[in-house]
Amino acid sequence: MKNNRSILKTEKLCKSFSNGGRQQHVIKNLDLEIREGDFTIIMGASGSGKSTLLYALSGMDKPSMGKVFFGDKEIQDFSNDELAVFRRGNCGFVFQSIYLLENQTVLDNVLTGALIVQKNSQELVKKAKELLKKSGIKEEMWNKYPNQLSGGEAQRVGIVRAVINDPKILFADEPTGQLNSASGQDVLDIFTDVHKNGQSIVMVTHDLKTALRGTRVLYLRDGGVVGDFDMKPYGTDNIKERRSKLTAFLEEMGW
Amino acid sequence: MKILRLSLFNLKKNKKEAMAIAFLTLVTTLMLCIFIANNSKSSKVFDESFADSGSVSEMVIFEEAEYRDVYSKILTDEYNPQNLKEIKTLFVPSVDVIEYDGNAISYNMLFVTEKTERKLENFTKRDCLDEEEISNVAHPIWLPQCFEINTGYKLRDKFTVLKAGKEYPFEVVGFYETGLAANDGYGYKVIISDEDYELFVQLFNGMMASEYRGLAFDYEKDFPFNEYLEKCEEKSGENVKNNSYLFSKSREKNSETQFVDIFLLLIVFISIVTMISAMFMIRHKISNDIEDQMQQIGVLEALGYKSGEISLSYLFEYVISGGIGAVLGVLTAILLTPAQNGVIRSMMGRDIEGRPEILKLIIVAIAVVIIVTLFALIKARSVKKYPPVIAFRKGIKTHNFRKNVLPLEKAKGNINFRLAMKGLMQEMKGNIGIAICIITTGTALLFGLMTFGFFKNGTEGLMSMMGIDVEPVVVVLANGVDPYETAAKIQEDPEVEKALVSYDFKKLTVSGSDDAGSLVIYDDFKDAKQFAPFEGRFPEHDNEVAIAVKRADYEQRAIGDSLVLEHNGIKRSYIITGTVSSLYNGGSAIYMTSEGYRRIDINARPNVVNVYLKDGVDPEKYEKKLSENYGGSAKDKVNAGAEDGTLEEKISAKAEEKIATLLTQYGVTSVDYAVRIGDKLITGNSRNFVIKEIRSWRGMIKSQMEPIADATRAGTLGAAVLVIFIVFMILVIISASSVKRQRKNLGIMKSLGYSSKDLRRQMALKVMPVMIVSMVIASVVAIYVNKVFWSVMFATIATTDIVLIIGVDIAMIVLAYIMTYIGAGKIKKISVTELMTE
Repeated sequence: MKNNRSILKTEKLCKSFSNGGRQQHVIKNLDLEIREGDFTIIMGASGSGKSTLLYALSGMDKPSMGKVFFGDKEIQDFSNDELAVFRRGNCGFVFQSIYLLENQTVLDNVLTGALIVQKNSQELVKKAKELLKKSGIKEEMWNKYPNQLSGGEAQRVGIVRAVINDPKILFADEPTGQLNSASGQDVLDIFTDVHKNGQSIVMVTHDLKTALRGTRVLYLRDGGVVGDFDMKPYGTDNIKERRSKLTAFLEEMGW
Repeated sequence: MKILRLSLFNLKKNKKEAMAIAFLTLVTTLMLCIFIANNSKSSKVFDESFADSGSVSEMVIFEEAEYRDVYSKILTDEYNPQNLKEIKTLFVPSVDVIEYDGNAISYNMLFVTEKTERKLENFTKRDCLDEEEISNVAHPIWLPQCFEINTGYKLRDKFTVLKAGKEYPFEVVGFYETGLAANDGYGYKVIISDEDYELFVQLFNGMMASEYRGLAFDYEKDFPFNEYLEKCEEKSGENVKNNSYLFSKSREKNSETQFVDIFLLLIVFISIVTMISAMFMIRHKISNDIEDQMQQIGVLEALGYKSGEISLSYLFEYVISGGIGAVLGVLTAILLTPAQNGVIRSMMGRDIEGRPEILKLIIVAIAVVIIVTLFALIKARSVKKYPPVIAFRKGIKTHNFRKNVLPLEKAKGNINFRLAMKGLMQEMKGNIGIAICIITTGTALLFGLMTFGFFKNGTEGLMSMMGIDVEPVVVVLANGVDPYETAAKIQEDPEVEKALVSYDFKKLTVSGSDDAGSLVIYDDFKDAKQFAPFEGRFPEHDNEVAIAVKRADYEQRAIGDSLVLEHNGIKRSYIITGTVSSLYNGGSAIYMTSEGYRRIDINARPNVVNVYLKDGVDPEKYEKKLSENYGGSAKDKVNAGAEDGTLEEKISAKAEEKIATLLTQYGVTSVDYAVRIGDKLITGNSRNFVIKEIRSWRGMIKSQMEPIADATRAGTLGAAVLVIFIVFMILVIISASSVKRQRKNLGIMKSLGYSSKDLRRQMALKVMPVMIVSMVIASVVAIYVNKVFWSVMFATIATTDIVLIIGVDIAMIVLAYIMTYIGAGKIKKISVTELMTE
């Protein structure tokens, strides 16, 4: 899965916010490369800029300064509408708060994300149903509304919605943050499966169990990457050893 | 305290909606105040003005030659009139007048002397010259008050009467208050000197003008004129209906206040539209507020607040915004009082004084605020539907069995369109509210624009509804003149397209009807331009007639029915072949062929030539040419004689005046004269005196109806602009608040790759079906309202300008798309990051 081609790259990336008239620099002159096929985990203490980096990388938010390259495209100067069009075909998102459209059924939630990109409805419907089935969402749930689903079910629908367009990269912001342990593991299993199929993933988390699923862990502190730790793909090595190495890395980072 | 804070928070948070509600309440209050303040004012003003004039309440006039003493006896014996007086007046229909500003205009006029005036009323003077000044004026004239109020006449202005090509200049010496004959209906009563009156009687009598004997009296109720005339006909055995008119207080009042009533009707219509719009805005705002604050409501309920108390919190802001609107509405109404008085003054032609009745206006404002508050309270009670647990879940009940309308799985077409339609179906309740609002405002807009379109070219629209052909120059021939020969001669003129022979101002009694039939006669109705049957066809045979729509409606007559006409004791039955939309003589017209007319009046001889001019020919210039060729020569000579002509010119003019009198009053058909002065011989003949009268319907209608057409045009355009503003204000606000409400969903959509343009397009597309359906319904309703309006107000069938309606519908739909798109502009500012960090 892993190769050395970068799918995302930043040069001198800065992001700052105005806080009561004071500029707060969250990301500072960050040079970073995300490799194609990696399951990249971004970790760090609260306020270290994990989510901010994720939004900047995904074109959800514009950097204050610096460049973001998606393949050979510079996206930092895109207008909001250009970014929207760019995201359609290239990025998938899974949110901590899930953010399903409350007025749409499960199937429609998935199709809403897909129909803006792909026009062949019949193929899409077939694909959506297959993905839902694969994610453990039974057929009788497809016509239910989000408020009729459990948190885990809803997040699985969220993942299906994010991957249905075969995005070049999948972004996830603490996707298990609101789920109980069992549901969280189910969701992570899906991510692992998706990654096994070649999907590049960038995920923000502060949870060790989640981080174990990655192939690369970036540790953020004071607006910069202070640690970069590579791992084999999940399931291909001894889990205890994997855990102790990652724990050691994180402890070293001051986690 | 918490509740009050919630109210203030809502008010602050949704400033635009609160301002829109205040604006709509302002307009509603203002319109209702205008209606309430003026509804009884016109009637009161008329009654007071009439009382001040000291006028008798009724005046029946009979053509002097046709008057019989028995008419007065019948009146005295059977109707017990009060203050009965006999008077004489010269009634001149359609007399041309050159006004002080040099413009020529047609009026119906009653000339009376001061002595007659004092019999009819008090002769209450307004602005006037003093006695000495008046005594120095050669031809003084007193005009009724409306000339001073409406037309801008001043003392010493010239008022020149044109008759049979001659000019009779008068000088305005004063204005006076008059009760009867103070409007365009039957005519204006003007007072001239005894000498001028006698001259006019001598000159005009028979030339489309007659001296009338009048019976003036007070009568407590509405005088039963037709019943009285029937009794007169019964006793005298003569046709009285053709030669008599009634001037009555009730008719005068109706005529003067009619357009004020229409104006006020329009005002009420607008107030209903704005009130419905205000209610819609309130409904929309409360729904949004409750939805937005659902969790807060849950918390308040959990803390022990009753749902009734929470509902009350929503009232406070409507009491404030509605109250501000109502107070501003009353203040505006008070400030506009002089303007309101001015409009009514010019519509009625009578002075209006009066301050606003503040108490009444305050009651209106309170009523508006109460209605707004009650409506808000009813809507706010929906809080009850959300006990704490449901409120915490943002109103979503545990078991949600909502049907998935328009599932994307089955939908086809563009995704933006699909999502828009899905959203539309999901917000059906709210859409019904929008639809009601658009239907109401759309109806008002279309009706306003149809009325505006009708009056767009001044009185042209009205002319098409007259039910007579207003295009030709109507040439009334002198007695004994062969109409066919004259028509043939006129037709030789290269400026003339055709010249048709007809009859002038004929009336017949209709059996079983109170309204005599005013005849419109053609040899062949295929020659008639500008009017066509509404239903059926025009008569073709001598036993057929067509009738005005109003007559058909009022008298319940239909095509195929028989209509019996009476003339001098002869009765003839005719078959109704069609109906015609007609304003002519109050909708009393009967259309028949020349042969059909001769069937009932065997002595009838045509005396009119209708001259149709070729395109581009100026009717006024042509009329001048006609006067010069067929009877205008006397004009110059009289004028020259009166001023500084030579003795010969003065003699010629005098001789031709005498010839005119002989021709018109004594049935003389040919006169030659020769006058010798010394060795000079002055000769002349009557061959130039072919024309008795040249009339232009177009000019007369224009002069009588143009001010009303102008006022209606301005009023309806103003109303249309206001309604358009309201529609778009509502659409923009709904769109903007919809963005606010759906902020989260829109953020999610953006994260999925929907651009701001996509989402704005969805918002705009979502309104389209509502807009299309509403405008179609509004069009149907507006056509109906327009028909009812014209039928009730003018007894005619309204023309429906389908092109205008379709054009307005399309424009409104397109503009609604644009305005909703613009209103949803804040979508651009929604960022996905904000969504994720909220």
